Amino acid sequence: MSTEESHHDGAEVAARVERRWATISVIIIVAMALLAAFAGIHRATMPQPRVETTDPSRLHLSGEFVESNLGSVLETNGNVTVRAIGQQYSFTPACILVPADTPITLRATSADVVHGILIQGTNVNTMLVPGYISEQPMRFARTGDYLMPCQEFCSFGHEGMWGKVKVIDKTEFADRAKGGGRLSCVGQ
Amino acid sequence: MLVNRKLILAHFWLAFAVFGIALTLGAWQMFIRSPIGTWLSNPELYYRSLTAHGTVMGYVFPTLVAMGFGYAISESALEQRLVGVRWAWAGFWLIVAGSIMAVIPIALGRASVLYTFYPPLIGNVFYYLGVVLVVVGSWIWVALMSINLRVWRKAHPGAPVPLAMFANVAGSYLWAWTAVGAALELLLQIIPVAAGLKTTIDAGLARVFFSWTLHAIVYFWLMPTYIAYYTIVPRAIGGRVYSDTMARISFILFLVVAMPIGMHHTFADPQVGAGFKFIHSAFTALVTLPTLLTVFTICASVEIAARLRGGRGLFGWIRALPWDNPMMLALAFSFVMLGFGGAGGLINMSYQLDASIHNTQWITGHFHLIFGGAIVIMYFAIAYDLWPHLTGRELIDLRLIRTQLWLWFVGMMITTFPWHWVGILGMPRRMAYFDFGDPGIAPQALSVTLSAIGGFILLASGILFLVILARGMRAPQTDAGPYRFALAVHQPATVPVALNTHALWVGLMIALTLTNYGYPILTLALNEGTSVPAVYVGAQ
Amino acid sequence: MTARDLFTFRNRHFTAAVGITAAILIVTAIGGFIVLPFAQPWVQFANVWDAICSAAGLPQRAATVAAPEQTRRLSEVVLTSSTLARPNQEAIGRGATLAQRCAICHGPTGISRADSPNLAGQYAAVIYKELHDFRSGARTNAVMSPFAVNLTDQEIADLSMYYAYLPRLPAYHPTPQLPKPNIVIYGAPMRGIAPCGSCHGSLDNKIGSPWLEGQSEAYMKAQLQAFASGERRNDISQQMRNIARAMTPQEIDQAAAYYASQPPDVVKAVD
Repeated sequence: MSTEESHHDGAEVAARVERRWATISVIIIVAMALLAAFAGIHRATMPQPRVETTDPSRLHLSGEFVESNLGSVLETNGNVTVRAIGQQYSFTPACILVPADTPITLRATSADVVHGILIQGTNVNTMLVPGYISEQPMRFARTGDYLMPCQEFCSFGHEGMWGKVKVIDKTEFADRAKGGGRLSCVGQ
Repeated sequence: MLVNRKLILAHFWLAFAVFGIALTLGAWQMFIRSPIGTWLSNPELYYRSLTAHGTVMGYVFPTLVAMGFGYAISESALEQRLVGVRWAWAGFWLIVAGSIMAVIPIALGRASVLYTFYPPLIGNVFYYLGVVLVVVGSWIWVALMSINLRVWRKAHPGAPVPLAMFANVAGSYLWAWTAVGAALELLLQIIPVAAGLKTTIDAGLARVFFSWTLHAIVYFWLMPTYIAYYTIVPRAIGGRVYSDTMARISFILFLVVAMPIGMHHTFADPQVGAGFKFIHSAFTALVTLPTLLTVFTICASVEIAARLRGGRGLFGWIRALPWDNPMMLALAFSFVMLGFGGAGGLINMSYQLDASIHNTQWITGHFHLIFGGAIVIMYFAIAYDLWPHLTGRELIDLRLIRTQLWLWFVGMMITTFPWHWVGILGMPRRMAYFDFGDPGIAPQALSVTLSAIGGFILLASGILFLVILARGMRAPQTDAGPYRFALAVHQPATVPVALNTHALWVGLMIALTLTNYGYPILTLALNEGTSVPAVYVGAQ
Repeated sequence: MTARDLFTFRNRHFTAAVGITAAILIVTAIGGFIVLPFAQPWVQFANVWDAICSAAGLPQRAATVAAPEQTRRLSEVVLTSSTLARPNQEAIGRGATLAQRCAICHGPTGISRADSPNLAGQYAAVIYKELHDFRSGARTNAVMSPFAVNLTDQEIADLSMYYAYLPRLPAYHPTPQLPKPNIVIYGAPMRGIAPCGSCHGSLDNKIGSPWLEGQSEAYMKAQLQAFASGERRNDISQQMRNIARAMTPQEIDQAAAYYASQPPDVVKAVD
């Protein structure tokens, strides 16, 4: 066997090993993509399904983010909807009250600049971009207090923009909801 | 054949000088918001520093390194004097002018909007104009790389383009196109508002434009590092590149799939449709392919070096590697950090897991590990490798160099690992101070303190790096010989057209950008109702 | 080696690259636009077209929601950074004439001898908003409300620009300058209180928030208490009530005393 040939054989071997590795890499990637799709179908946290718009400087005049409509409301089907806004430098309501073990829809938007809502210890995490409405499903397994900081720089008071979430027992929430109106734990 | 050494040295020195300043700011930021610092009586100072740190580290420093390294590659790999030296200097001075123009409003506290801009927050117009000048200066470099390759091709019809130059030009095209997103955002949206010509701006559209730039820019930062992996490391440790073809495919893949994936930064955004988010997520998964291929090829190349040095056994060859060689050390550190950083990146890009860490300190930990760690440590190695060829003087103290690399690696580990951890605990990004006395976040205090200590180790390493380079300017003279790049085991005599030119891949890159960004950008741009009033930052 | 050799389906690299890219795009598009939307049972789509449009991100106006009646009248002012951003001399002149009737309480130079707010050099948007709120009844005051009720939009704008134009003079409540209390410097992050200056001018100005240096201590304290108790509600979407409610009575005292003791020149003049 001439050196020429062995050189050629070497190249063949190298290419074959390489192809094998490339195949393994592709399999890894496809597996990851399938995993993502599977998790998506089985109700992991998903990006919101729709893009909805609103006018941030007129939120307080009409529509679903007027002051009297901010807070939590028990819907007729037993689910809860929470409406909130972020503004420099607070969330309204500053303390969100929700029941445990209940499907909850968070609908929120920003009145001025880009903010973010993050509830510590949960997967609830969404941007608030002025002009657009953010929607995220959430569900709390246990009662207690959670911190809810703003997670995007919103000018020089950003470090002071911390809200709270209070998760209470389902029946207690239903009792409080009997009075109508929008619930929050502000001032409690 | 390095002729224009002064040009290359000017780029490197400016890059490392601004790096030193930004690193110092970074260490201060880590300290001041940690439990061992005291709360700032003016939080704006923190955001001012953060803006300077991000702008320099994101836009100025890596761009200058890529440019200086690019000129060096063009001259030495093509063995051809740089064509357009005057233009190259013009590009350099544009970057100097742009940096100064951007830094003055930052230093005065008139542009503390952070390097991501995020309108409707609006700072002083000169900040944005400065950033534009930096980008324009770097586009001159892109054009020069393309022209130099063309000149060489004319003189060498049909010959395989040296791998280093092939990759270098791929990197320059990637930068040219990825910078377009931020450029459109600045020119069409932000600058008219900052200049007072308009009063409203679509914040959602701006975020989409920025995501166009924000992810692929990371691969632009990565390019010099990958070029070093393939074309410098094997030569420096006495080995060969396992496969020239696979190397080309990796760089081509970066060109094609680095671009249309940026919307994984906007998974939590309300203005982008879920379908496009999924597509971008899938393409982000694809971008792991060139990295997986690279890990294989480089490990194989290193193994070749070890076996040539007499290494034996399934893993025994690892001991035979030249561990006292700074390049070997840097590569090993870089790979470790790339491994951890890449694993973290898989979480960020996954459609669902992202929600648990989006915009937390995890993200800052992640990109510091990848960029500050895996990438920048190879910038150090590139500088060490090139320095004798640029200065004609030897870097004598290898022990000091190894100490510097060790410090950087250890510092980066101590900084970023706790940083990731507090992110998982839900610590938000970009806050000037935290009340660690509150029981809700008290458990994060220890981790944040550790990160701050890591920051000081990094600062020490950075200072050491500058000292080594400065001492290298006064070391005894030596003839370092011509600057060479690693050869492949099977050096190709011919290369298929597709793997020897960029046209097809640039075409695919642009096509994928149109498919993945065209519709979201158009709908947002044409939708009248979503422009919101600008919010000008700063005292009145 | 020409473009014609490269961009042809006879070139297997071209065919493979374009084919694979297109295939991935199509598969992921089907996944993202059709499969995933329908695989989420908690979201309802009218038809495939609706699912595709939603997944593509076609902006939709939010559906109207029946909100409960407001129990009290709230502010209806829309403020943006361009509100009264361009003062003009005529408006300032008209404002000067109108302002004569304000001088009894707010002083001939816009500096009050009583516990009414000093208006000289105040941000135009602030005066504009408060006058509108007094006029609409979103904010009430026995003295102010009757004055505001007959003002036209034009008059409110003129007055706002006039007072914004006046130089910021020292106040009539001279007290030794007090050290900055923690609540003013740092706020209280975990209670959701940002530093006062991040809205009230010295760090940043949130549109509609006044600068406070040299104002009457009694006035500021009363307003903070009114915000905290919910008696005053004309702050849009509770932006100030959120803060005042979280402050302790002692912090309210400290903040009011501190700002009253400050000379107005620490705030940069409006240019």
